[in-house]
Amino acid sequence: MANTLFYVVAGIIVASALMAMTLRNLFHCALFLALTMFGISGIFLYLNSEFIAAVQVLIYVGAVTVLLIFGIMLTRNVMDEKTRVMNNQVFLALVTAGVITVIVFAAVHQSTFQLNDHPLAAAASIAPDHTDVYSLGIELIRPEKGFAFAFEFVSVLLLSALVGAIVVARKDPS
Amino acid sequence: MNTVPIVHFLYLSIMLFGIGLFGVLVRKNAISVLMGVELMLNAVNINFLTFAKYWNWSSLTGTVFVVFVITIAAAEAAVALAIVISIYRSLRSANVDEAHYLKG
Repeated sequence: MANTLFYVVAGIIVASALMAMTLRNLFHCALFLALTMFGISGIFLYLNSEFIAAVQVLIYVGAVTVLLIFGIMLTRNVMDEKTRVMNNQVFLALVTAGVITVIVFAAVHQSTFQLNDHPLAAAASIAPDHTDVYSLGIELIRPEKGFAFAFEFVSVLLLSALVGAIVVARKDPS
Repeated sequence: MNTVPIVHFLYLSIMLFGIGLFGVLVRKNAISVLMGVELMLNAVNINFLTFAKYWNWSSLTGTVFVVFVITIAAAEAAVALAIVISIYRSLRSANVDEAHYLKG
């Protein structure tokens, strides 16, 4: 039963990702991308990471998709019905993506992985007071592990990226 | 308890990465290319979390990496959309194959 749900969600993810990459209406592409992100948050739930699943819904389904739809609306009238959606290298792109996918597929298929324990089985046997978010916060700001500097650095990066986005997108003052 | 083997998570991640790569290579509209990049980043996130959780279910290193990847992906989407709007303003087009000013 639990396995069946995983395969259903995986099928939804792959199908909607294909739709998001091939449809000609950009609005439909963005909505299918939102569906893909929603399914991926379900996969994160499967991997015992409730916080990441919530963040995925908040940031990807909430923020990034809305941002993409804003961009589509601001540049809307460029794609009329006549223009082609794809460039004239569809065959080459298909070969490149297909070859890379098949190579990694084969590599994964031939590998054996050293697994210590299975997340679902381990989660069933653990006490529920060990919350994911609490230990994640400790992990992020604990100074001796080295993530504290990266945490501060990525916040500065986010700030500078947002300021840079405003500077790039505003009208030229001259 | 019957559970999903690790390779099926990896297969899903590979398929998402391949679809995203195909979209990046083949689409003309810059916003579609951005969507492909987001798909590839999400495939990488699934991989990170799968390996972290299957190696040691209480390990949080993979989760920390996913948090960083999501943050940087959000910053990247904001900057890329600003660039798309800027290009659209000067070229009246959002197609990547028409913006070739930097081509030698």
